[in-house]
Amino acid sequence: MEHLLKVESVEKIYGKGANTFQALEDISFAIDHGEFVGVMGPSGAGKSTLLNVLATIDTPTKGDIYVEEDNIAKMKEDKLADFRRDHLGFIFQDYNLLDSLTVRENILLPLAIAKQPAKEIEEKVNTISRSFGIEGLLDKYPYQISGGQKQRTASCRALVSNPKLIFADEPTGALDSKSATDLLESLSSLNEEHETTIMMVTHDAYAASFCRRILFIKDGRLSKELIRGMHTRKEFFQMILDELAELGGDGNDLV
Amino acid sequence: MTLFDLALKNIRRNMKSYGLYIGSTIFSIIIYFTFATLKHSDDISGLAETSKQMQAIMSASAFVLMIFVAIFILYSNSFFMKRRKKEVALYSLLGVRKRSIGFLLFFENIVIGLLSLIVGVGLGFLLSQALLSLLLKLMGLSLSVGFAFSMQAVIETVVVFFLIFLVTSLLGYRVIYKFKLIDLFHAEKKGEEQPKARMISAVIGVIALVAAYWLALQDLLTSSAWRILGLAMPLVIIGLTILGSYLLFNSVLVYVLNVLKKSKTWAWKGLNLMTSSQLLYRIRGNAKTLTIIATLSATTITAGGAIFGTYYNTEKSVEELTPFSFMWEGEEQDIDEALIENAISFDTKEIVVEGEVYDQYYYVIGEETFKKLTDSLGWDIENLNLNKDEAIMVDPFYDERLQDKVDTVVVDNDVKKVEQLYEEPLFNLPTLPGTTLVVDDASFGEIDGENATYQAVQVTDYKDHLDLSKELEAKTENFSSAVQNYQDTIEASGAMLFVGSFLGLVFLVATGSIIFFKMMTEAEEDKDKYAVLYKIGVSKKEMKKTIRYQVGLIFLVPLVLGLMHGAVALMAFSNLLQMNLWEPIIIWMIAYTMIYILYYVITVRGFNKTITQTVTQEG
Repeated sequence: MEHLLKVESVEKIYGKGANTFQALEDISFAIDHGEFVGVMGPSGAGKSTLLNVLATIDTPTKGDIYVEEDNIAKMKEDKLADFRRDHLGFIFQDYNLLDSLTVRENILLPLAIAKQPAKEIEEKVNTISRSFGIEGLLDKYPYQISGGQKQRTASCRALVSNPKLIFADEPTGALDSKSATDLLESLSSLNEEHETTIMMVTHDAYAASFCRRILFIKDGRLSKELIRGMHTRKEFFQMILDELAELGGDGNDLV
Repeated sequence: MTLFDLALKNIRRNMKSYGLYIGSTIFSIIIYFTFATLKHSDDISGLAETSKQMQAIMSASAFVLMIFVAIFILYSNSFFMKRRKKEVALYSLLGVRKRSIGFLLFFENIVIGLLSLIVGVGLGFLLSQALLSLLLKLMGLSLSVGFAFSMQAVIETVVVFFLIFLVTSLLGYRVIYKFKLIDLFHAEKKGEEQPKARMISAVIGVIALVAAYWLALQDLLTSSAWRILGLAMPLVIIGLTILGSYLLFNSVLVYVLNVLKKSKTWAWKGLNLMTSSQLLYRIRGNAKTLTIIATLSATTITAGGAIFGTYYNTEKSVEELTPFSFMWEGEEQDIDEALIENAISFDTKEIVVEGEVYDQYYYVIGEETFKKLTDSLGWDIENLNLNKDEAIMVDPFYDERLQDKVDTVVVDNDVKKVEQLYEEPLFNLPTLPGTTLVVDDASFGEIDGENATYQAVQVTDYKDHLDLSKELEAKTENFSSAVQNYQDTIEASGAMLFVGSFLGLVFLVATGSIIFFKMMTEAEEDKDKYAVLYKIGVSKKEMKKTIRYQVGLIFLVPLVLGLMHGAVALMAFSNLLQMNLWEPIIIWMIAYTMIYILYYVITVRGFNKTITQTVTQEG
């Protein structure tokens, strides 16, 4: 089967002239349909840069990124916008909800943008909010709900249009452990039941243990890959910790 | 539900930030429409005799106002757009094409524009009626004015603002195209370079200002600078002033702040470090705004001072031009005895003294008459006792720059030495213009000249006797009266006064609003920094202190410079008109400073509110 996402020798250089910084160096990998991939690495390793480049928020200096047939590294501005609308979903550490819209309106925003009929929108919003357990909050405003609820709202927004690929940038970064677990369990079950493909950047080993596969990144390069396979989540968590200890030697930064 | 519905909803919920923007556009439209109505009003243009001139002044002012309003709206629009960056970025991230976002914002701006136009024209109509009657009152006229609704004014306003809205909409469109998605996610900006004070720009700035001031204080009649530069002079002065202010803001402030920051005993105390760094990093960007504010302040102070000064001095100049309540040539008239303070009947002789270049005409009066007249006017005259070869000269138009002092006069072959020269008018100038010669009574009797009899009358409260003045004017020749003169002066300058005060008021309000917008933008940018400060244990009281300083400097510096510019310009103005305007100018400057301080208080409040909201939300 064809890969959903294929990254080929991607490079990202910031700055100009003598004052440059290479954030990504010759990165290549592929993600298949229905995977739940984590990207880990110490601070400043290039995790977020990689995610931004893949998510079309930033452009790579070199290399190709294919989502199925489309090379998004070479796509024009307008086509990219359409592409984001039709195929990508985003979850951020700081939610990025619009304060002036209710939870329901925030969730349906991508559908409204895609000009879907109101009846369908209603249905989809109800379904997705139920699967994240926030169906009772639909008419509240973002300032009236907790951080965990906000992140679940943001996740609903990312998933409601049923995109091919979800990008999550430290989604649990600002959440307490209970909210984080709830969110990760919801994402994980969506991944298992609906085969939603998710790529998540995190430096939290616990969050990463929900993934099926982990890519480790260090100094802008891919350094190692870890696959959960038939292991339990607990075992996988231990494997990740071991790997991190070996990788950086500095566990403080990672847990 | 479409994106359009969501956008509408967003407008309704975001009424606060929209309100600020819509409010300022409506304000601009009201001001402009009011002015346009007055410009096209028949009552106004019919008022001044030189209505063509009046129209020209009004048109020029309308132009200034238009530029001003455009700048103002651009300013509030960019402030407004900044606040909405997050929303726009999110739309873009969710896959709305830039063109659609651009169209959405364009459409929204046009709708806001149309709404503001309707409300603005409506309110402007009411305001213009109020101002029109105020104006007429100011000019001392009791005309009844019908409602002046001018279609021309409506069309003019609509066209002007349509253009302005078109420009702001296009600019908004440009913002969308320039903005990159990554900006939203990498909010932390690239470290700005610490500004360094460039000595050279400080020196050039000071030189430019000194040169501008020096040029401004040059005498119009004698200076070679005026001869060389001619009509370009005012432009050169204004240009140098603006350049000088800009360079000063750019360099001197940076220098002072750098020095302060380096002084550990000062900088490492409380939040001083934070305050000075904050200001330092902003100063470059602020130099432009500060220059605009200083220029606006200077303009407001100068215009207001000149106008207020002139108005204030009307009475004085009337009393100078017509020292006597009434004066006419011929016989005495019946005037109610109770009113008369002083009535003098006297004879003059008009003589011609042949000069080398041209003949000089003199009105000659006797010593006795002179004593009576000066007595009535309250002049302080030393004990006079003129000899046959002595005389006193009264020349209200004497200007040492233009003419030589006359030492001797030859009257009927007698050489008379001019003992004393008075430059104040002794007579009402419309009745008896020109130079007067006072000789001893014996000589006066002998002089051969055209004889005439004049009456000079002083009444109590001269301004109340317009009717009497009209009555006398009908019966006498060569009549002049202080009250009529006063009326004429007020009427002639009233429209000017009004235009001036109106523009001054607009500039005043706009200056305050620009600083307000500027500071609120900074508050938006700074709120995260303050949130951090709060988290590391800085008390709200201390934060408020920092805010007061930060805002205070942005207010104080342009005010000081504006006052300085204004003072020099007004000095030049009073020199030009040879009027002593200091009293009204100082009153006006104090008034301006008070209003300015009020703005400061309001801005600090707004700033505090923004910061406190953020801090308590996150803290």
